Amino acid sequence: MKNLVSLTRALSLIPLGVASIVLFFLMAMTFMDVLLRSAFNNPIEASTELTRFSMAIIVFSSLPVLSGRGEHISVDLLDGVIARLGLDRIWTALMSVACGVILWWPANRVVDLAERSRSYGDLTEYLQIPTFYVSWFIAIMTFVTMGALVVRGLTLLFVPSILETGDD
Amino acid sequence: MTESLIGFAAVLMLVLLRMPIAFAMALVGFVGLMYERNFKAAISNVARLIIDASQDYGLSVVPLFILMGLFVNKGGIARELYQVSNAFLGHFRGGLAMATILACGGFAAISGSSLATAATMSKVAMPQMRRFNYSDRLSTASIAAGGTLGILIPPSVILVIYGLLTETSIGKLFVAGIIPGGLGILLYLVAVRWTVWREPNAGPAGDRATWGDRFLALKGVWAVLLLFFLVIGGLYGALNVWPIYLRFSPTEAAGMGAAGAFLIALARGGINLKGMFEVLSETAMTTASLFFVLIGAWIFSNFVNLAGLPEALRSAVTYYDVPPWVVMAMILAIYIALGCVFESLSMLLLTVPIFFPLVTSLGYDPVWFGIVVVVVTEISLITPPVGLNVFVLKGVVGDVTTGTIFRGVTPFWMVDILRLALLLAIPALALYLPSQM
Repeated sequence: MKNLVSLTRALSLIPLGVASIVLFFLMAMTFMDVLLRSAFNNPIEASTELTRFSMAIIVFSSLPVLSGRGEHISVDLLDGVIARLGLDRIWTALMSVACGVILWWPANRVVDLAERSRSYGDLTEYLQIPTFYVSWFIAIMTFVTMGALVVRGLTLLFVPSILETGDD
Repeated sequence: MTESLIGFAAVLMLVLLRMPIAFAMALVGFVGLMYERNFKAAISNVARLIIDASQDYGLSVVPLFILMGLFVNKGGIARELYQVSNAFLGHFRGGLAMATILACGGFAAISGSSLATAATMSKVAMPQMRRFNYSDRLSTASIAAGGTLGILIPPSVILVIYGLLTETSIGKLFVAGIIPGGLGILLYLVAVRWTVWREPNAGPAGDRATWGDRFLALKGVWAVLLLFFLVIGGLYGALNVWPIYLRFSPTEAAGMGAAGAFLIALARGGINLKGMFEVLSETAMTTASLFFVLIGAWIFSNFVNLAGLPEALRSAVTYYDVPPWVVMAMILAIYIALGCVFESLSMLLLTVPIFFPLVTSLGYDPVWFGIVVVVVTEISLITPPVGLNVFVLKGVVGDVTTGTIFRGVTPFWMVDILRLALLLAIPALALYLPSQM
């Protein structure tokens, strides 16, 4: 079981690595775009579209890792009360499963919308890239996020000991 | 209107029950939309928002500015900023506390986070002030208050979120934050002087640095300060002159800032491949969490608008003939009260969808309202009984009671209220610079 956790941790570096590379690319592209525009009056014309794609990749690559680690922004006002009642672990687990389950419906709907845009043959304006690529990526990663939340919740509920060295 | 109020109560309840704020707002927004329309329309609305929002060009400002802050931090800028301020101000009575305020302002400008500023600066400035026998009251208060400067001085993540949420120009919001942010620093310096005037032993004068030492201290920070002025100057249009003709959109400014900070870190040898991965992945994760929160807020906002809450509030104001300033005063009172419970971002996300339409319909400027909201949020960070910055400081420093910090913070809190009053009385403080863009 411990090996499985280590494997999950190692695997989570892949989407983070992708997000990091794309973010670095976004930074470098924006920098070059400004330089080329101001010095040579020759901006990178596809930069707006590439920025949009980059954002979707950065956000949705990181989302499963963020969810698996339980690092979503939340308010901790009643943490003390919940801990005093001895409900800390069970509460966190149930919340995680609940959050995962409610992603099922939007993820499915994103698939529908992606398929619709594929059947229409929607392309981006400048680079002429089919828009359903991004929508499918978003849908898949939303399903992965859902899985991460549910698995995290169930692990916390039934085998909390394997998460003792950290949350993943 | 009743549906919206029930929805608002439901979000509050779920958030307090520790559901992540993004999920709470999205879930309630979705159920609300379903109630107003039907399941299919509601789920389509949500899915469309997810697809469109994740490809929002404006959102790219967020990771790039966070990246800039993290790259700059890698070089230990907090300590260097403090050394510079100290070299110039340390020999005055209360000088170390004034240096803390200036360094907090500088660090906050780069990091964009109040809590991070308070946590970092307490490690840097507190030992120095203790060495010179500063009273705990003044030293902790200057850090707690200085930390609040973080969310107003550009580039500020919270102003970006406000801009995205309300479709207000992010560039204008940033520029609008400059004078109120500077005024905040100035008034805090006055608060330090007032404290040492009342209680001369609270902040004894330190050693006077020579001009040689001062220039030596500047060596560590000049590149970062230059980068900051380049980013904000480019955004404002101040660099749009011969021979460079540089003018940035917020995304471009953020990109230039991030790339510049990366080059500075590289030149100083402060970053390796592992460090780079840490910075980039931390930025990506923060972006994803902010983005998810924004989607939740948008879904909730769609529901609130569909249910007609802003319209109902507008009608109520017209019906009872409430003067706009009374409405504004009520909104600010609600913010200060909520600020005792929620941290800045959650508060902004929960309230702006409800108040923004009302405020703009009363004729208030959206940019000005953004600045006012952020200033009020700042004030709430040091307002008893639960000002978050005070608790962050208590956590880091340890052996000082929160009561001592709150007592020390009182003059700072009072000048904050003065600044808020000035902003309300003279909107030009926020609006003059953006009007010149």
